[in-house]
Amino acid sequence: MIATLLVAVLLQAQPDRAALKRQLADAGERGHSVRALMQLAHVYAEEGNAAGAAAALRSALQIAPNSEDVLAAVAELSLTTHATVPAVLTLESLTRLCPTEPRYAYQLGVGLMMAGDMPAALDALRKADALEPNRPLTLLALGLVYNNQKLYTDARPLLRRALDLDPGSLETLAALSEAEAGNGDLENAERDATRALSRAGTNATANLVIGMVRMAQQRYPEARDALLTAASSDPKSPKSEYQLSLVYARLGDQAAADQHLTLYREKLRALEAAVEALHKGSGGIGR
Amino acid sequence: MTPGRGTLALAVLTTFIARVPQAPASPEVLFRDITAASGVTFQHHAAPEKKYIVESMGGGVAMFDYDNDGLPDLYFVDSLTVDTAGNPSAARSVLYHNLGHGRFQDVTDRSGLAHPGWGMGVCTADVDGDGWEDVYVTALGGSRLYHNNHDGTFTDITEAAGVGVPGWSTGCAFGDYDHDGRLDLFVSRYVKIDLAHLPEFGKDKTCEYRGVAVQCGPRGLQGEGDYLFHNDGNGHFTNVSEKAGVSDPKGYFGLGAVWFDANGDGWPDLYVANDSTPNFLYLNQKDGTFKEAAFPWGVAVSEDGAEQGSMGVALGDYDRSGRLSLFVTNFSEEYNDLYHAEGDHFTDMSFRSKTAPSSLPFVGWGDAFIDYDNDSWPDIVVVNGHVYPQLDRVKLGASAGYRQRKLLYHNNHDGTFDEVAARYGQVMMQERVSRGLAAGDLDGDGGIDVVINDLDGTAQILHNEMPNRGNWLIVALKGKAPNTGAIGAEVTVTLGSTRQTSIVQSGSSYISQEDKRRHFGLGAASDADEVSVKWPDGTVTKQTHVKANQIFTISQ
Repeated sequence: MIATLLVAVLLQAQPDRAALKRQLADAGERGHSVRALMQLAHVYAEEGNAAGAAAALRSALQIAPNSEDVLAAVAELSLTTHATVPAVLTLESLTRLCPTEPRYAYQLGVGLMMAGDMPAALDALRKADALEPNRPLTLLALGLVYNNQKLYTDARPLLRRALDLDPGSLETLAALSEAEAGNGDLENAERDATRALSRAGTNATANLVIGMVRMAQQRYPEARDALLTAASSDPKSPKSEYQLSLVYARLGDQAAADQHLTLYREKLRALEAAVEALHKGSGGIGR
Repeated sequence: MTPGRGTLALAVLTTFIARVPQAPASPEVLFRDITAASGVTFQHHAAPEKKYIVESMGGGVAMFDYDNDGLPDLYFVDSLTVDTAGNPSAARSVLYHNLGHGRFQDVTDRSGLAHPGWGMGVCTADVDGDGWEDVYVTALGGSRLYHNNHDGTFTDITEAAGVGVPGWSTGCAFGDYDHDGRLDLFVSRYVKIDLAHLPEFGKDKTCEYRGVAVQCGPRGLQGEGDYLFHNDGNGHFTNVSEKAGVSDPKGYFGLGAVWFDANGDGWPDLYVANDSTPNFLYLNQKDGTFKEAAFPWGVAVSEDGAEQGSMGVALGDYDRSGRLSLFVTNFSEEYNDLYHAEGDHFTDMSFRSKTAPSSLPFVGWGDAFIDYDNDSWPDIVVVNGHVYPQLDRVKLGASAGYRQRKLLYHNNHDGTFDEVAARYGQVMMQERVSRGLAAGDLDGDGGIDVVINDLDGTAQILHNEMPNRGNWLIVALKGKAPNTGAIGAEVTVTLGSTRQTSIVQSGSSYISQEDKRRHFGLGAASDADEVSVKWPDGTVTKQTHVKANQIFTISQ
């Protein structure tokens, strides 16, 4: 939004977009204007040209490597484009530079989550929570980390608090239903997942929760329908495929069970490969 | 935004550390560590650094009555190290004769069981129907079958019997899969290891754990297939692995294995815990072959589809359903699986039973369903310990380091458990590096005891001294020859409208052998209304009004 407004203002002064970019680039390169390069990055970002934005920001970084504004823009762009490693590295610098700024700690936590480094994500998010308590997005992120680690007991109170603060958050409601299901509280899991689905019928997490609740209730056709929706809404997740293989086995449809088992295996391998790729160069995967 | 689910979990959370319960100042009494007074001095050999995976997986322990005096004896399996691999006598497995009253005597030298090589696991059974228990030891570099000579000595008959397994064998279990009355043998294998070309410590990403150089494997190493030997009845076994369909051609990393009737058709099925790969459930097709069905039966992976580092397997009727559920121990940052038997499939009840959360920080190995308070509901014990000693030298924020405490789950009688180890003090909370576990009543006092083989450190003999335990019954079976130990028999004890079922097993837990006599808590009941035995051949024996607090023998 800010980028759009900024670009609109710039375009008022120079309606020719190509000319504007040339002017900004020139000011940046020749005049060593960080401001111009930042504006150029915004223009590219507004166009959806991530590579152009990144190039402009790289030039800005060369001029002002410790500029908070530039680093913040680099981090934001990296997170948006799922360039996890640069995002994390930049945000680590930013959190050292500005240790009391909760936004950077939060973003670092999100970046680390995306990289799969949950302990580090937890540290960063707890720092963000301490710097700015009761921020719903931070609480949601913390809840997601705990859910990911199957620490559902820890996730539940955080997600409840997040939901109290932001009752309209669909993501939080779905995550809470997952934590409740993980805690074996199928009644509340079903209630909250149903509430989430009443707002967004294809939500992957809520459908997965409903699928697993219906499995536990041995209501297999309903479980199948919910899991099929979950699988199509989150096509990279092997979890729904695994559950689908189980539900079809219970329904006596061995061919479909085998088909989903194959899909489960393919997605599991793809996910493992992606995680491994993210960790190339640092961390190690051990077992 | 949500990161990948169920893949390579990388974290152990720092917040968990603070919540690991500490032993209370005045703990209640459950187990007393009687190791020092018992005469058991066994200490498993291990390389300090565990630079190679072969140095971190042993060993098993057996609780079995080798001399038929009615008291379970103990056999601890020892392992070599890469440095001592050329000197098999550097490792000394030890057989202890149970003298009664918590005292044991080392009778190894006379027994002939001292040096099975690079030992790993153990299971026992009367393989030739002579009424005396024989011993099978898995090992790196060749497993062994020792025949019981009835005089405290054993003879290595591996070659003559044809049951030698090359490579790295780990789990073993005897069971009569074809109902011919003779005990057949399953042996799992782990990874392919060439001691002359060991994978280099810390050499690549599969040899690092959160940035720390560690031993390589099992991921990244080649696995080895498994073996099934048919007992031909003439002192010889035949390798039928491929014909039976249990050879594991993909080479999953096999560890614990148990025989039991998973689908209630009267024929023994086979469950194999595979490390970092899907587990196997082989359903007996009643024609000498098996059909692998772990995925459709819901026991291959975790509830979210993750392949876990499965090690130990325990069987127990924890909800008095009459069916045997599975408890499988796993690696840290995974959870131990409680697969509830439904008859035609299993349901992962780990989180719903509340056993999963407390297991997340630990690397689990030996496990058993034990009714430690004799309240007539089986509880669960698990021993733990990591595989990477290097964890203690770096700040990982991990909730559990190399040495780890035990887990003890008390059955709440409603399908859930409470983790109560801290209630019972240092004996449960002391951090150790444990592997094999065997449960049974060592002294006939009705309390179920636990014996543990630690990778690093002395063995542990934990004597149950809980005051005010409930009444009890131990059922000892004498089967019809040649399966004189009645392996595979299911014992059901009825108290009013409730029933508890247990199975006689050869091989369970983590590559270990539990006491074959079946222990039942009876609570306040002064007798069992009925004790029913379903023998391996399908015949049934029933005894009514069996008095509590005795070892009750039933013959086929």
